[in-house]
Amino acid sequence: MASLTDTAVPSVPSPRRWSERNVSLTIQIGAWIGFVILLLPVFIVVLAGLNSGEYLTFPPEGLSLRWVVEFLTSETWMGAYLFSLLLALITMAVSTVLGTMAAIVLARYRFPGRDLLRAYFLSPLILPGVVLGLALYVFFVTTNLGLARTLTGLVIGHVLVTCPYVIGTVSAALVSFDQSLEEAARSLGADAWTAFRRITLPNISAGMMAGAIFAFIVSFGQFDVSLFLSTPDLTPLPIALYISLRYTFEPTAAAAGIFAILLVIVSMLLTARLVNMRKFGGIKFS
Amino acid sequence: MKKLQDKLGRPLSRRSLLKTGAALGAAGSLPLFNINHVWSQDVMYDGGVFDAEGATLNIGEWGGFWEEFVNKNLLDQFKKDFNCNISYDSSWPWFPKFVAGGPKNPVYDITNWNLPEMFKTAGAGDYFLTKDEIIANVPNAKDCWDFAFENGVGVTWGFGQYCYAYRTDLADPHPTNFKSFWDDQYGGGKRGTYITSNTLQMIFFLTASHVFGGDYKNLDAGYEAMRSAMPMKISDFTGNMQTLIERGEVVIGVQWEGEVYNQIDKGVPIAAMVWEEKKPILTQTKTISRYADPVAKKLAFALMNRTLSPEYAAEFGKTFYMRPTNKTAPIPDNLASKGVTNTADATNGMWIPDWHWYLENEDDVVETVNEIFAG
Amino acid sequence: MSTAADERTHLDSRGHRLRVFLGGSKVYWLILPAFVFFLIFFIVPVLSLFLISIDKPVAGVVDPQWDFTAKNFIRFFTRATYYEAAVRSIGLATLVAIITLAIGYPLAYLIAKTENPGRNTFYMILVLCAMQLDMVIRLYGLMVLMGDNGLINRSLIDAGWIEAPLPLMYNFAGVVIGLVQFTLPFMVLSLIGVIRSIHPSLEEAARSLGATRRVAFWRIIFPLSMPGVLAGSLLVFAISISSYVVPALMGGWKVVVMPIHIYQQIAELGKWQFGSAIAVVLFCTSVVAVVVYQRYAAVSAGGRT
Repeated sequence: MASLTDTAVPSVPSPRRWSERNVSLTIQIGAWIGFVILLLPVFIVVLAGLNSGEYLTFPPEGLSLRWVVEFLTSETWMGAYLFSLLLALITMAVSTVLGTMAAIVLARYRFPGRDLLRAYFLSPLILPGVVLGLALYVFFVTTNLGLARTLTGLVIGHVLVTCPYVIGTVSAALVSFDQSLEEAARSLGADAWTAFRRITLPNISAGMMAGAIFAFIVSFGQFDVSLFLSTPDLTPLPIALYISLRYTFEPTAAAAGIFAILLVIVSMLLTARLVNMRKFGGIKFS
Repeated sequence: MKKLQDKLGRPLSRRSLLKTGAALGAAGSLPLFNINHVWSQDVMYDGGVFDAEGATLNIGEWGGFWEEFVNKNLLDQFKKDFNCNISYDSSWPWFPKFVAGGPKNPVYDITNWNLPEMFKTAGAGDYFLTKDEIIANVPNAKDCWDFAFENGVGVTWGFGQYCYAYRTDLADPHPTNFKSFWDDQYGGGKRGTYITSNTLQMIFFLTASHVFGGDYKNLDAGYEAMRSAMPMKISDFTGNMQTLIERGEVVIGVQWEGEVYNQIDKGVPIAAMVWEEKKPILTQTKTISRYADPVAKKLAFALMNRTLSPEYAAEFGKTFYMRPTNKTAPIPDNLASKGVTNTADATNGMWIPDWHWYLENEDDVVETVNEIFAG
Repeated sequence: MSTAADERTHLDSRGHRLRVFLGGSKVYWLILPAFVFFLIFFIVPVLSLFLISIDKPVAGVVDPQWDFTAKNFIRFFTRATYYEAAVRSIGLATLVAIITLAIGYPLAYLIAKTENPGRNTFYMILVLCAMQLDMVIRLYGLMVLMGDNGLINRSLIDAGWIEAPLPLMYNFAGVVIGLVQFTLPFMVLSLIGVIRSIHPSLEEAARSLGATRRVAFWRIIFPLSMPGVLAGSLLVFAISISSYVVPALMGGWKVVVMPIHIYQQIAELGKWQFGSAIAVVLFCTSVVAVVVYQRYAAVSAGGRT
């Protein structure tokens, strides 16, 4: 019985075993420079959160968990963290569903205006987040649907900027998925829905998972769109950080950063258990 | 194209379209303006404690340490006494939020301002109660000096002086007058000021125009002064400036005295050089929104009353070195040691620019100064 | 048995295509929920905002006054500070795209070629971790690193290599560094899948014919990964050109790009009309970029998509 971790037919026919020895030294050096650039600020923030003193100096004064404790016991910070978590989960669910459905149609069918439609779904990313947030805020207030300053309003904004990613990853998975498999199932008598559910869906699950994680991460770290849509009761972590850092620097903010990182690690490990990461096909926008 | 207009001759907007639709369906065609106006008049407050039955009061005020202080010294007790909730929003700016909702949909019931933004908002619509309406409903307001109402829009409850904040260990010699900011020793980006929308930068600019050009309305002199001060570090809030100075990234920066004294108390090697050539005043002014919910409005009156109380003023003075406007407020020792007294002429010699003139010219100033900063 | 390729070449007559499209599967309606959602909550609000860009500019007014004029756009294109900001935005975004490509490609290549699942997951976690950290707090980390009194400058000065601190923050360089740091994961993730799908035997064949590793890379692998390169570059370009926080904080409010102008005009000055005109220009610029990309991608992919 097919499970999520293996498929009926591998999507890349019999891959040869490439080891890292075959990757040239130049590329390896380049890659590690990339890692350093990505991770140095993260490293600094983690250090700042564990610093025993109030201001981060180099060399650090010493390690201490006091800011971590302060973070865990602070109503504002924990509230913001948990709220971001909730918001990201809801956004992830909605985006994944909407995005997958859209991607299926976009990737499999050729019809006039398809490119335009793709651009249509990509457009929220092109607009500056602050403009989108403002436009939504004004829209909610003017139409008086009761969406202004509510969780739903915030979710809507987040879904708009995360859906494109889901569409991208699922499209990529669909492209590398050989559609003839589904057609074979159809020719054997399965109806469209069963063929889709039993053959295609498991194969693109990696793409869906990747899209879902993307949506989660982008929503959790989303600042621009949340700026105008958040309220004191509905404050996601990035906004809380911004507000706090504007007025003063507290290492508790850095501790919040540490927990955000931990969240990623946990969710990544979880996904690695559920999905074979090698199946991840990347992102595709056209 | 002819401007679409409604029955009252006001320009038709999305808002009024939807609202009119709803009103027509519900109550016939009563003009909505009158309903709200009547509504806004029947809230009175006499200074006592009442039960708000869990209503929410929306506040717009500065965040960070300020917010913690306000919560501890005012709001926690207020919530208990009046049985209400408080929604404290510190994500400034306030202006776009007010304007996006319009006067009938105020985003906050009681708001804390610096003057320019307050005038800008007041000029965009009938957002706030007048000073007479406030005095009639806030007992402690009668105890405030006249200058607290000079602005004509809200009640000023505290003020302070502008100064330079400088590192005593890194600045040599120490600054002695307004022009010291331009000394060569601070070259290479050691000077600090703020973005054009921050009141402190506006005042700094106008003061520079006065000192270098003889008249604070001499914009060209001001532009020249900004140009020759570059490169500067630009901050968006005073809290951020505090961090920059503490880290030594900025050696001399525009500030107001309260935050500098605060940092001195914490042991940072910093001092304040108060401006003498022109003494601008940094005010904290509160307004109450005209079309706030009736219960919320009553709560706003009550909160305003407590904010203006001598006890609160004394606490604020002690922690923030904020000068009071209530004539019965005692001056705490730390303020007194700086020579502060609580008299009717406490603000004598202090200067408030003609903000209406500034707002008319704001576009040019913002564009030009931003260009200078970016250059 | 007909293969997918056969099926597609089959579909040259429009009628046939349409029949397959409509009758072949009932799944085409799946796109409707997303489409309607975007319509109500994206197209309508943004269009209303854009509508007032051709309105008469009045401070503090956000409702359409139905008094149309091109004044706002004229102002944009005649005042140097604004169209310079447009040029700066485009230049910045392009530069960031190029740099992230140069740095991200080796990284993506390494991860794509890593077969060991544990190691692979580990690398992915590293990349996603970097992406997860909030921009605001990352800025603090970068300030500690690159400020005048930051780690880099302090060590260089102490070691005697430089006299005055290098201005790495609160300027254009700082913004570039911040944006590269922020968008690098997006580029890497766009590239991984594509690189992985390049069949190893292609490179092997080239090598066996005598090509050096470098030639094999530039002549075979890189061109084949073009779809990913273009997708990643487009994504990075779009993110960079519309970013507000990074230029604001890393640029010390001195690197003025279009999102900053938009925010200032709307949020600080209350000039909704002019602000939304700037937003329209920004939006059109990005749309042009997307169209250029789509054309280029179609050409280079040679009809494989």
